[in-house]
Amino acid sequence: MTAPETARPTKGEDVWIPSACGMCYNQCGIRGHRVDDTLVKIEGNPDNPIGRGRLCARGLAGIQLLYDPHRVDRPLRRTNPEKGIGVDPGWQEIGWDEALDEITARLRAVREKDPRGLFFSGTVISMAPLMHALATFLPAFGSPSAFVSDGHHCGNAEHILARTLHGSVTTNPDVAHCDYLILFGCQAGLGTYYALTTMAQDVADARARGMKLVVVDPYLGSAAEKADEWVPIKPGSDGALACAILHLLLNEYRLFDPDYLREHADGPYLLTADGWYARDPETGKPLVWDLDAGAARAFDVPDLGAVALEGTYRVNGGSCRTVFQALRDQVAKWTPEAAEAVTTIPADTIRRIAREFGEAASLRSTIEIDGRELPLRPAAALYFKGAHGHDNAWPTSLAIELLNEVVGASNVPGGLLGTAPVCFGHPETGFPRWQPGPDADGLLEAGALMYNDPYGRMPGWPPPPESAELPNLRDLIGWPITTCFTPAALNDRENFSFDHRPEVLLNYGSNLLMSAARPEVCFEAFEDAYVVCVNLYSDETAEALADIVLPDTCYLERLDPLPNFTRHHHPVGLGDWGHAIRQPIVPPLHERRHFSEVLLELAERLDITETMNLLTNNLYGLVPPHALEPDVHYSWTEISDRAYKCWFGDEHGLAWFEENGVITWPKQVEEVFWKPFTHGRAPLYNEWVKRSGEQIEKIARERNMKDVDTSGFFPLPDWKPCRAWRPREGYDLQAIYYRVPWHTFSMTYENPWLDEISRGEAYSYFICINAATARKKGIADGDPIVVEGADGGSIEGRARLTEGVHPEVLAVANNGGHWAKGMPFARGKGVFFNQLLPMDLPHTDLVSLSMDCDARVRVRRAEEI
Amino acid sequence: MRLGMVIDLKRCIGCYGCQIACKAEKGTRPGTTYARVVKREWGEYPNVKKLSIPVLCMHCGEPPCVDVCPTGASQKRDQDGIVFVEGDVCVGCRACVMACPYGARYFQDESRDYFGGGENAYEESVYGAHERGVVEKCDLCRPRLAQGQEPACSANCMCKARTFGDLDDLDSEVSRLIREEGGFQLNPELGTDPSVWYLPPER
Repeated sequence: MTAPETARPTKGEDVWIPSACGMCYNQCGIRGHRVDDTLVKIEGNPDNPIGRGRLCARGLAGIQLLYDPHRVDRPLRRTNPEKGIGVDPGWQEIGWDEALDEITARLRAVREKDPRGLFFSGTVISMAPLMHALATFLPAFGSPSAFVSDGHHCGNAEHILARTLHGSVTTNPDVAHCDYLILFGCQAGLGTYYALTTMAQDVADARARGMKLVVVDPYLGSAAEKADEWVPIKPGSDGALACAILHLLLNEYRLFDPDYLREHADGPYLLTADGWYARDPETGKPLVWDLDAGAARAFDVPDLGAVALEGTYRVNGGSCRTVFQALRDQVAKWTPEAAEAVTTIPADTIRRIAREFGEAASLRSTIEIDGRELPLRPAAALYFKGAHGHDNAWPTSLAIELLNEVVGASNVPGGLLGTAPVCFGHPETGFPRWQPGPDADGLLEAGALMYNDPYGRMPGWPPPPESAELPNLRDLIGWPITTCFTPAALNDRENFSFDHRPEVLLNYGSNLLMSAARPEVCFEAFEDAYVVCVNLYSDETAEALADIVLPDTCYLERLDPLPNFTRHHHPVGLGDWGHAIRQPIVPPLHERRHFSEVLLELAERLDITETMNLLTNNLYGLVPPHALEPDVHYSWTEISDRAYKCWFGDEHGLAWFEENGVITWPKQVEEVFWKPFTHGRAPLYNEWVKRSGEQIEKIARERNMKDVDTSGFFPLPDWKPCRAWRPREGYDLQAIYYRVPWHTFSMTYENPWLDEISRGEAYSYFICINAATARKKGIADGDPIVVEGADGGSIEGRARLTEGVHPEVLAVANNGGHWAKGMPFARGKGVFFNQLLPMDLPHTDLVSLSMDCDARVRVRRAEEI
Repeated sequence: MRLGMVIDLKRCIGCYGCQIACKAEKGTRPGTTYARVVKREWGEYPNVKKLSIPVLCMHCGEPPCVDVCPTGASQKRDQDGIVFVEGDVCVGCRACVMACPYGARYFQDESRDYFGGGENAYEESVYGAHERGVVEKCDLCRPRLAQGQEPACSANCMCKARTFGDLDDLDSEVSRLIREEGGFQLNPELGTDPSVWYLPPER
């Protein structure tokens, strides 16, 4: 078959081309204006539900990424045999054939020896090519050794709970109906986070309508700026605040939704005294207390009577509490006063917020939407990196999530919604289609997560194997793709005695030396490997480690079918489904090549095309007649055309998408507010976490492993301090990073339009310090300062005295301070926060592999810098 | 007809989308930002407020920049009140830059490019529209208006903080917002009578 090829631009052309943004992970709809062969403007695409025609500063500025003269344009080979941070690699331009011949030879050797020796790191920004590599090339090659290097910005614990409670990868609030929104270390619709450009419109509408916004954050950032109430908090203590609110709702104010907890959560399941679900001895099913029968019975027997939500009962000779009772008992110690001592938030404020939240949930109210009567729970709590970016990520995230669950504000109007957990598909084809359902215990099981797979290598799954006959810690903790912990594990030979080492690192789009932690961690892990960077720039990672750099296309030069096919890019709430195209607005400039096409060529050279074709069918859910045949070498455009036709019918192939950009259809009420229509229960109690913790602890003890701390494997919410809370003599502050709406991690610091914003703005290129704290230390506004970490590392910058930061906190925007020769525009701009972050077991939450993203520090005035 | 804009400070999150939407529409040179954002902070921790205030040319009813222009290059359009500069007539004396109390005018002094090594393909295609040696400013996107579109900053704002319309029409949305939501102008004491209005951040 012949697939439509992207037309070459011709002189005199003046066209608008629909596509998808790639300046952050959100995949917003764009239109590019091309005159002759030059892109002259990017706008939002009003037809695309992601953004609805409006873009953030980054999306509008992408044109300066396309035409940045510092981009890598041809393959480069290292001539300096010495590798090292800050070392000049001595790049020499080479041809593609020469580069691919060399890479193929290396890969073939690794595959013959042990395919796991191919390590892969990627970036979530380029999600479609990333998934192509993770889901097709790597498994076809035979390597599971993959990670994303921006993992410490990733959801991790949040992704676990989005899966177990919401059947999805992540969440967003239904602000169209919400009256009271608490954001914990998150700026949804107010600067960052998923579906930003759509959420920004919806949150602004909601606030104009009167939705109250409470922002819990140590730093007065763009969300806190708009909050009705800014609640400054000590970093790493959000879980204690959430536990106190839970305690007040459940034990003092009795503001909870008993019907939801009884029918849509595991609230009535009985727990044995040693903390497991009490189970029917014959069927193994969880038991509940049947009040009518006066007996414990399986949760799903057909003639079940009224079920007890609270209380303690005698079952099988033992005393059993309901899960809900155990939750109430568990949080009872978190009085507002106890939480104040940890968070620095006044107890009265905690009481007021708890009451406001519980009352806003309007516990018995309903709403009719499209003829369906649904519970209305217009209160939601949402959190992200500020709250869970610590080694207490799991219990913190669980405590915040359960705020929504106890008032029933979960996947109903006004509450917290999973991002696209239910999809009935395009009306003409029924594609794509997925929905959650109950597992054997009656608990919610996601329909699909990252791709055509219910687990998708997300955090917390699969749980560790039952067998104790395990070689080392590596087999005990899950290896979600969202973590960047892999390099730290490679360096920790004592605990993670890998029986394979990185022979080759294929690094796509990621600058792991800067983005994971302090650069030495990733350098040490891969300094002996043959490293190929496929990237836009010769960045810090390339210059320190790469043997070969391949020039990648940016998002304006490449074709990605279904760029938002992973679930988390869809806006929540009513409105339209939309699936789009990312297509070259200009053909690849110079000798840049699309990574997906490079993967196809490497597969052909390595003779793994057959397996890769089968895995491609799995990735996109391709079925005959659109499924790939095993023994055919397809072009990327052919694969894209088949994916579109399979999902949306033969008339909606690649050519249709090139012309029209996006296909849309209305969401149904049962897709958006799906909880009342689904039998799967949200687990308040997490047996699997308790089991994982006990297994890991047992084996760590047997093997005498160091730094394996399982004290945070709580099945119910609780709080423990994060690593940065450990008292260290003389280190009196915590350093955190926050995010601004006009930068994406560190990658946009090379963009001059976005740099112009930061240079005109008072905070983002400075280190923010509370004004009173600074004065006590003799630091004046604009002074050069040095911030030294108690666990090593130091950063330099200029002080910005502000009232908008907690007195015990230093705040740095994003992660700047590039030093690569290949990114001269970005060099020295902003502050390299990650220099303060080690990456190792003691700083990591083993449930989710979240790392502590704050640091215990001290600060002093520096000599002039 | 008097065209104007209402900017809702309750909606604006200070994302700088307007600054770049303008940059992308107009293709202006480094240092020229017809649309920009001013940030203010007041109070003492923890009772502190930050506010982002997007600014652009105020298209004043009584524009001092027009009054001081010696050549007639700075003009106020009769039919809709847009203040603009006729580049061919401007001699670059910069009196208007000094006269404007809102910092809305930019003298195009040299041919800078963004990366410092010469203009890239994009810059080559757009900088030709910007003469050197003259003053430039926001013209409320006259070419877009001629095509029935609203100004780029307003069309793009992802918080929908900007409303564009006819201030003379009492039934227009801008007039209604100003009337019902407490609209105000910046520096009314100067007597410039801006056509850009603001709605208060808390209400």
